[in-house]
Amino acid sequence: MIKLDPRTKLLLLLAEAIVVLGGLGGSSAEPFKTVFMVLPFLLLFSAKKVRTAVIGGLLLGLGLAAEFIPAGHSCSIILLMCSGILTRFVPSIMMGNYVMSSTKVSEFTAAMERMHVTQKITIPMAVMFRFFPTVKEECSAIGEAMKMRDIRFGGSKVLQMAEYRLVPMMTCSVKIGEELSAAALTRGLGSPVKRTNVCRIGFHAADIVMFLLCAAALGWIIWRSVT
Amino acid sequence: MKGKDLINIGIFSAIYFVVVMVFAMLGFIPVFMPLLAVLVPIVGGIPFMLFLTKVKKFGMILIMSIIMGIMMILTGMGFFTVIVSAVTGLCAELIYKSGQYRSASKAVLTHGVFSMWLWGNYLPLFFMADKYWSTRQDFGQDYIDALTKLMPMWMCPVLLVTAFVCGIIGGLLGKALMKKHFAKAGIV
Amino acid sequence: MTELKDVSFSYAAAPEKGCIKHMDLTVPDGQFLLLTGGSGCGKSTVIRLLNGLVPHFFEGELSGDVLIDGRSVPKMELYETAAMQGTVFQNPRAQFFTVDTTGELAFGCENQGLPEEEILSRIDRTVERFRIADLMDRNIFAMSGGEKQKIACASVDTAQPPLILLDEPSANLDYASTMQLREIIKLWKAEGRTIIAAEHRLFYLWDIADRALLIRDGSIAEDWSRADMDSMTNEKLAEYGLRSIHDTDPVTIELSCSRSEVFSVKPHKKFTFPTEIPLHEITAVVGRNGAGKTTFLRHMCRSAKRSRRIFMVMQDVDHQLFTDSVLEEVLISLPDEDEEKAREILRSLDLEDYADRHPMSLSGGQKQRVAIACAAASGRDILLFDEPTSGLDYEHMQQTAQLFRQLREQGRTILVVTHDSELIEACCTDIIRLE
Repeated sequence: MIKLDPRTKLLLLLAEAIVVLGGLGGSSAEPFKTVFMVLPFLLLFSAKKVRTAVIGGLLLGLGLAAEFIPAGHSCSIILLMCSGILTRFVPSIMMGNYVMSSTKVSEFTAAMERMHVTQKITIPMAVMFRFFPTVKEECSAIGEAMKMRDIRFGGSKVLQMAEYRLVPMMTCSVKIGEELSAAALTRGLGSPVKRTNVCRIGFHAADIVMFLLCAAALGWIIWRSVT
Repeated sequence: MKGKDLINIGIFSAIYFVVVMVFAMLGFIPVFMPLLAVLVPIVGGIPFMLFLTKVKKFGMILIMSIIMGIMMILTGMGFFTVIVSAVTGLCAELIYKSGQYRSASKAVLTHGVFSMWLWGNYLPLFFMADKYWSTRQDFGQDYIDALTKLMPMWMCPVLLVTAFVCGIIGGLLGKALMKKHFAKAGIV
Repeated sequence: MTELKDVSFSYAAAPEKGCIKHMDLTVPDGQFLLLTGGSGCGKSTVIRLLNGLVPHFFEGELSGDVLIDGRSVPKMELYETAAMQGTVFQNPRAQFFTVDTTGELAFGCENQGLPEEEILSRIDRTVERFRIADLMDRNIFAMSGGEKQKIACASVDTAQPPLILLDEPSANLDYASTMQLREIIKLWKAEGRTIIAAEHRLFYLWDIADRALLIRDGSIAEDWSRADMDSMTNEKLAEYGLRSIHDTDPVTIELSCSRSEVFSVKPHKKFTFPTEIPLHEITAVVGRNGAGKTTFLRHMCRSAKRSRRIFMVMQDVDHQLFTDSVLEEVLISLPDEDEEKAREILRSLDLEDYADRHPMSLSGGQKQRVAIACAAASGRDILLFDEPTSGLDYEHMQQTAQLFRQLREQGRTILVVTHDSELIEACCTDIIRLE
């Protein structure tokens, strides 16, 4: 498994956004574009997220294949638009998926602190990442309960269904949130003292490779657009 | 702002983000992408209006908005959203502040403005679109003409306005559900 | 020294519930004080006064002063109080802040800004003393309730506060985990920390506490010394409305009834679960941690899906109530939304007065009744309960037992997964042990 510093991952996301999502550099950046289209999948494989990589790969393949549909049909224009959206967004989203699944919350917080991001952003974000699994737990518990009670809303009751799922999920989450908040505060969260962070992050060989790759791509694009 | 407020921002950002993401998954089917500017602001109104009942200090809305932008970076939606969300978040904050953080009608308007952060996600589609398609000259001019008709430039402001209007609808929906559920359940 | 000086407090949200009236209390250093009393008596409020959550987090009207080592808690900021006390709360799911165990143990120290080496050596020390090396570097979400609670204690320990507060820490724990919690508390006591615990499950603390207070309506009703505690009997405690001090492991209880009529369950692939459930009886299902209680519940629900006879009342009833009124809740369970029938069901469960209330605004016991009403409405006669008495005081536990007997008389079958030996003794007629 390739281990990258969270800051390197942010740089990769930036490169992805510029080269693939933004489509900067046009045809001259084509080789780099190919690299950045493939890179997220390699990283996902290295993080053993095979299922995600395969699904993403299929979507990207669909997008690329749609470009070869013969011209002339009216629906092929819509297909081409889909292809455009897929080929631009999928690699970037896959990179996002890699970053989210391979970074521990404490690593992310440590990286934010190193980059001197204010506590007013880092604390809520740490709480948010802590809270995602809770919201998921609540959702599935409510879903299970609905199934057991045989509550199914068909046809006209779609809205009611959404209401009866969303509202209890939010009520339960808010209640747990209160308890979480109380517990965190008794343990000194929000103190003006400079926080320590025991999580160790730092740059290694893999980070340098990625850094050089991003620098080359961005350098190339800037150089081509100037000349 | 104290620890309690920062934690509240985190909790409601999580709930809001999860609710939004469930619908955003539809965006993977590209035809639905423009539809997100309708759906997300409407459902987002429910958790956001609940969040506003906890907002009493300056900056809470702004921070939540910026966090949405950062989340878009982390999920690979690009860096444009965070710029948009910082601006819309500040505007939303100022609107709610002008209502002393308790006016119900201002709350609905606040959600309308807050919802416009979503618009940032569409920018790559318009942003330098010409350049993108010009690399695909092999498809012929017909295609490019047809495509600019499907995703024309005027769609850009239309999506922004759509997000705002649907945000107002979502705010009203959230307000109605608050009365129906949250107030009676005793959590606001 | 920890002191309450003529303290009165009432919550802004609910002035009647859990208020404190003119309380004076002095706890010398190194004492282990047990606070007990029925739910809503104010014992949790005392804990909250000491950790500063009252009045900084839970707002309300406060008079008098709360002092830890001479410093006034209400006048301090919460993060200052954080260095003087550590609190273990009731709900294991809601009190950890990070996602991984190591980060959790470091959290309190990190907030105080201690140097990294110091924090790491403190973590090592705690891990060794608590013997939790196998729990390190793990995802807390994937842990059992007992393990989570152990991590909560460990994270209090690393911050090394002189005062340790416990707010019903065993409410969601089974027998074995509760006994492990007891060992941790004994460890703290041996080190001379001051410990104040609010609990109504007394059996695991009664013989190690130095002093016990009975709180009633926000005042100290009884102040028992060690000697008083030694001469206490279960009967006398029941008069005070308190729970048993005998520790009975539910796994050792023997019960059996005639199994003339049974409900058959398909055998499970991996576990050897009992395949016959006696009908029209109250059967307790007991087992140690990891004996497969959760799997058993799932399996029961799944295998009974076709027959539509089983209804499970979840431990957290909040998850299974969806609508905005009790009546509506029953109506959506009825096959043919018949309001007359719904009201009749509510009447049979003494819920008629609450028909228009929002389910979430009811008390825990009332919510359980609403869930049972839904079961009745959907025509199911086998009720499965998952830990219905966790966190309940003596009175409410007896009410649950009474409800079970009432349901049995109505011809229903009850299967209750529990670690509460008092509940089993109070109402169960049969027992199933999972191994």
